Amino acid sequence: MKKQLRLLYITLLGVIIASCTNNLELEPTSVISNASFWKTQDDAAGGIYGMYVNLRTQASKNLFLWGEARSETVGAGVQGLDGRDLFYLNQLDATNSGPDWQGMYTVIHHANLILKYVPGISFTSEVTKNNILAQAYAMRAYVYFCMVRTWGELPLVTEPTENFNPASVQRERSSVANVFTLIKSDIDKGMALFPNNTFPTGRNVWSKPALNALKGDVYLWTAKKLAGGTTDLNTALEALNLVKSSDVALLSNYNDVFDYTTKGNKEILFAINFKRNEVTDNDYANMYFPPAYVPNDINSDVATALGVAAGQNFWAPTATFRSQFTDDDQRKNGTFREIYTASSGVSKFYGAFAVKFNGMVELGTRYFLDDYIVYRYADILLMIAEVKNALGQDPTPEIMQVRTRAYGSKVSAHLFTNGSQAQNDEVILQERLLELGLEGKRWWDLVRFNKAFDKVASLKDRTGKDYLLLFPISANTLSLENKIRQNPGY
Amino acid sequence: MPFVTVLIKGAKTGATTNADGNFSIAATSGQTLVFSFVGYKSREVTLTAQTTLDITLEPESTNLSEVLVVGYGTQARDKVTTAISRLDNKVLENIPYQNVASSLQGTIAGVRVQSVSGQPGAAPRVILRGGTSINNPNGAAPLYIIDGVIRPNLNDISSEEIESMQVLKDAASTAIYGARASNGVVIVTTKSGKTGKLRVNYQYNLSLSQLAKGYELASARDLITYQRQGVLATAQVSGNATYLTQLTGKSGYGTGNDLTNSTAFTTQYLTDQNKYKLTEGWESMPDPVDPSKTIIFKGTNFQDVLFQNAVSQNHHISLSGGSEKATFSAGIGYMNAQGIAITTNYQRLNFDMNGELLVNDRLKLFGRMMYSRSGNNQVFSNNSIFERSIDVPMTTKYVFEDGSLAPGLAMSLGNPEYYLNKLKGKNSTTNLSMAVGGHWQILPGLSFDPQLSLYETSGDGRSFQQAYYNGPTSYITTRAATGLYGKRTQYQADGVLSYGKLFQGVHNVEAKLGISYYQRDTTGLSAAGQGASSDLIPTLNASATPVSVSGYESRQVLVGYFSRINYDYMDKYLVSLNARYDGASNLGASHQWGFFPGVSVGWNLHRENFWKSISEDKLRLKLRASYGVNGNIAGLADFQAQGQYSVGSLYNGNAAITNTILPNANLQWERSKTIDLGADIGLWNNRISMLVDVYRRVTDNLLTDLSLPLSTGFSSVRTNLGSLENKGIELELRASVLPSSSTLQWVVSVNAAKTQQKILKLPENGNANNRIGGIEIWDDATKSYVYKGGLQEGGRVGDMFSYKQLGIYSTDEEAAKAPIDYLITRSNRTKYGGDVIWLDADGNGSIDARDRVYVGNPYPTWTGGFSNTLTYKGLSFYARADYTTGHTIFNYPRAQMIGQFQGDINISKEALQSWKKPGDKTDVPKYYWADQNAQNNLFRNATGANGSNSRYYESGDFLCFREVSLSYSLPKKLANVARLQGVRLNLTAQNLGYITGYKG
Repeated sequence: MKKQLRLLYITLLGVIIASCTNNLELEPTSVISNASFWKTQDDAAGGIYGMYVNLRTQASKNLFLWGEARSETVGAGVQGLDGRDLFYLNQLDATNSGPDWQGMYTVIHHANLILKYVPGISFTSEVTKNNILAQAYAMRAYVYFCMVRTWGELPLVTEPTENFNPASVQRERSSVANVFTLIKSDIDKGMALFPNNTFPTGRNVWSKPALNALKGDVYLWTAKKLAGGTTDLNTALEALNLVKSSDVALLSNYNDVFDYTTKGNKEILFAINFKRNEVTDNDYANMYFPPAYVPNDINSDVATALGVAAGQNFWAPTATFRSQFTDDDQRKNGTFREIYTASSGVSKFYGAFAVKFNGMVELGTRYFLDDYIVYRYADILLMIAEVKNALGQDPTPEIMQVRTRAYGSKVSAHLFTNGSQAQNDEVILQERLLELGLEGKRWWDLVRFNKAFDKVASLKDRTGKDYLLLFPISANTLSLENKIRQNPGY
Repeated sequence: MPFVTVLIKGAKTGATTNADGNFSIAATSGQTLVFSFVGYKSREVTLTAQTTLDITLEPESTNLSEVLVVGYGTQARDKVTTAISRLDNKVLENIPYQNVASSLQGTIAGVRVQSVSGQPGAAPRVILRGGTSINNPNGAAPLYIIDGVIRPNLNDISSEEIESMQVLKDAASTAIYGARASNGVVIVTTKSGKTGKLRVNYQYNLSLSQLAKGYELASARDLITYQRQGVLATAQVSGNATYLTQLTGKSGYGTGNDLTNSTAFTTQYLTDQNKYKLTEGWESMPDPVDPSKTIIFKGTNFQDVLFQNAVSQNHHISLSGGSEKATFSAGIGYMNAQGIAITTNYQRLNFDMNGELLVNDRLKLFGRMMYSRSGNNQVFSNNSIFERSIDVPMTTKYVFEDGSLAPGLAMSLGNPEYYLNKLKGKNSTTNLSMAVGGHWQILPGLSFDPQLSLYETSGDGRSFQQAYYNGPTSYITTRAATGLYGKRTQYQADGVLSYGKLFQGVHNVEAKLGISYYQRDTTGLSAAGQGASSDLIPTLNASATPVSVSGYESRQVLVGYFSRINYDYMDKYLVSLNARYDGASNLGASHQWGFFPGVSVGWNLHRENFWKSISEDKLRLKLRASYGVNGNIAGLADFQAQGQYSVGSLYNGNAAITNTILPNANLQWERSKTIDLGADIGLWNNRISMLVDVYRRVTDNLLTDLSLPLSTGFSSVRTNLGSLENKGIELELRASVLPSSSTLQWVVSVNAAKTQQKILKLPENGNANNRIGGIEIWDDATKSYVYKGGLQEGGRVGDMFSYKQLGIYSTDEEAAKAPIDYLITRSNRTKYGGDVIWLDADGNGSIDARDRVYVGNPYPTWTGGFSNTLTYKGLSFYARADYTTGHTIFNYPRAQMIGQFQGDINISKEALQSWKKPGDKTDVPKYYWADQNAQNNLFRNATGANGSNSRYYESGDFLCFREVSLSYSLPKKLANVARLQGVRLNLTAQNLGYITGYKG
């Protein structure tokens, strides 16, 4: 009897212990597993903002490095160089290649996820669903457009990364033409899906007018760089004219276009949002001025413009760039300021800093959180002028519209006279410099106008080395992607 | 004493004592009874006519006769067939460890311990036999088990409570822990009560510590001289006159400063208004770049500002005692330790209690509780304050003219006293471990040992940044505040069925069968706010604006079934079989279960008849061999296998969800297979005892990040990848130099271990050696460019490459013949006297990234230590040292202080030896301000593992005198006068000094 009782106890213990062991299949509580996502409309909404968060990471620094850092607008600041000289001195190579493309492909991966999964989700409104899909197409087109201008041929990824089988993730580069075929197809698909020609509040996501701006930009590029000719120019003009019909205008005060408090203003078509407590300073912090470097005898007007000194002056607007502005141009003080000092007895230039994207000051700290503008109306007007000129039409109205805002009552001293196509191009490129300087567009403008070797001091003695118009592929990329070859020349 | 084996010598009859220590056996007069129990000297008694016997066994003392706590049981060293080391308790005797894991440093062969933070109480890094990771070789922590309860570390345990610590090293010994055991198992047992009168033990320690050695900085005068001349030199070679504005700037060496509160530095030209400062201790010098002017300045070494003589106090009181039926033990400890950096400290309170009750002959119950609460006020990472105090230029104002503390240049490079006092932080951690269990003797030889335990550790913390000057002029009133709370709860249930029997007096069998359930839940909350209107309230309620909130919750479950069978034939031939079948919730759905077997054999040669000619007393020898398989899932987050979409980011106020981790349903156990061959050798009655082990561990299916093509949009995915080999040899030796009859006793103990690592296999990726990462450099052996470093089959983890400095050009003429240095980014790459002569590895007349050469590896090959104990009557002297060799460290601070990359930090004394004029012969290049803008003598393409100047990759070899103690036990008579059992006084010095070539 006692023995049987003991046996019973043992069995009971065994059962209790064994019962703890049944289930190793746990569901996460605080993170979302892949299997449980992309089921509802809310998942799609969260996913689309995830795509923008990844784009914002690129806009924090990289878009500027690719789009302007190699041009004549930036040069050494008063501090150390921080490796930035490699860009404006055009000394990039595989080892020091500038940012690689991983972050951009992360944005593409997120767009691809949306394009793959959102069609299968049921929405309360088809309009909402189409709007999300349209944004993903617009985003994919834009990111590929940035990359194809940076590196040329690209691995073409149109499906989200969901496995890591070498056979499917090691890709060769597709030709530039193929990349543009995808870009244009994405633009068309997006265009068809956008419900109307209006802007969302804040203008910090893709919309139909913004996509038309992209379309104009893309076709202008293929017209000039890929022998797209009149057909592409007409397509560009048509798209850009459609932008005009949306709710856009030039603000009378140039500074207001970029200010932290006037984000999403009427001049903006699409800007990548930066906001306090969502993200840290963007790279314009490094074109400002640290307090320790501010001379004691700084001019009070400049001191007021500087306000709370902050950031670093690793690089700054160059003398070449600064000297092209006239004093009656409100864009001059809206773009940069110069500091002079008389500490050596005579007043001498000391340093410069960019004020266009100087962020805002909160509780004594400056935060460099201005939006990164992808397209704004002045850019559209100058693109229209460029297209018109290429088509042999008169670009005067658009150029003058931009100049009128810039010079105000003094505009009579800056009238545009229609000249030869080459002369007009020179004027338009110059106007783009003054209007859009430091906005991350200059390098691509120079490439599009074929003027990089003329305008950039560090390229002047390297005419003919056209490989320099692309960026090198980083050694790290080559090491990890065995089907990718270096851009010839590097 | 229960469970003592009683044998009749030469016969096959035996018995075991019962719970009361009684036994009965049928024997006849003239026969000899052998009494044996692990850890005690065996005793033989020849029977006369008596019917009762009173036998007392004496514990043994050398390490060949010690008792080891192995997984789920104990074993005498004599019967152990695997690689297990036990910590000499001497190490724990004198030092109240802030973190007891530090006691393993240099005391156990094959264990590498490094402190990673200057914060008192912080867990050191503990790596066994080189670790099994190729991703993060410094993250391969062993499994810690304290009285059967798994813990993530040994934090906050009071060393006075520790009875024993052992490290299970090979796979056969750890196989019973299966999962997670491949990086070794550290088993700790704590003290428990003994039958007898109440014993009270009180211990008090007072320690003083200080910074061993400050960094050798050049004086303020030298700083100004070198920096000003350096700026001139850099402006000249770079052709960039902009740099000259530095000379008049408000920097550590610029003359733009004045006596007002709006500049951070003292450096300025002498004027009528400031000349009175010269009577207040300021110094003056001619301006090195314009001797017609005079510069005045005041030097402050901020290392002196930051470091203090730290006082630590430790109290520990323990009570223990019990009756035949019940015993108990309780301890209370309190430690209050100042850090050597001002404002840092660590406090700890410990409560430990345990009791045992003998219910009847068959049933014993016990309960154990360990509680600790520790706290610190850490706000910065210590490394950054230490580095900062070295960097802050000596010419920085310590106080303003009005006497208030000056902030210095900015928070990142300011006066440590100012900033440390502006940050108010507090962290505390509570650890609670409770266990209830029993021992049930079901039948003779058959018993059941269940244990249920709960281990909970929770931490809370807050930080508050008071309004402060970030540099002299910008006043920041953000007043950022954070608060956090986190908890980890661990439930563990273990049940072990044991059976032991001696068959026919010679076949000794012991078998175990068990089950283990482990569940770990973590949860936490955190919040941040800002905008408080005053500095008075450091908690979140004062914040005007909420900034962010966050929370998490996660769970891991592991279930294991295990078994062990030990067999020995007359203690001569020993065999042990171990197996564990483990399941883990965080592995890929199809690979959750893994089987981990182990087998080991041993042969006690001295028990053989043929040994008689040698005599067991002269030489004892056991040979052993083991093989086993272990698992490891340390590198795997709870739900990683399922992929992850992360929340928490916002885009213009909208919650964003981003895909951050690729799923991998095929994630499986990382498996280590270890072969270990060993010998236990005892000479002259074990006066000299030695343990030797040679092992080879191959870890397959490493849980490692596989770098992905960048065009996937992911940098890597966690996967099972490749295999890694660790080979090594370990030796532990202990010798009593003088015979046991001598009143003076001298014990020497030595240990040494060598570890070598090699990558055996990596996934096919089309590259040579299936290389992942790495750099392309010239290979002189094959006369071609090849990829080196990174991860490659046949290679090691962590190899570093840099540009080799052959010397310094003595003159401009010599330098004119230099190869073109493409690391200089300007188009004018002229070399001058004072520049580094670089090795042109490929001999192509130019220096580029492909000219880098191998300069070392950061992981040590040899580690070990030794100790000496001298005892004379009540007096005892103990000294212990440890060493590490074979590793290379990139000395970034040293390179930076010559290269002045930052632009406005201190310079090291070494700068004084720099090249100054044609003809100078030296190893230190000419001093330039901001080397990266000048001649790139130190700043090459990177300042990390693969880039700088070879001269700054230094051997990290060191020998550290860890402890010297002198202790004296008062004669019993004297102590008894005060009604005390004993009084012991000791004087201990810790971390006395390092012998090393590393320049700090």
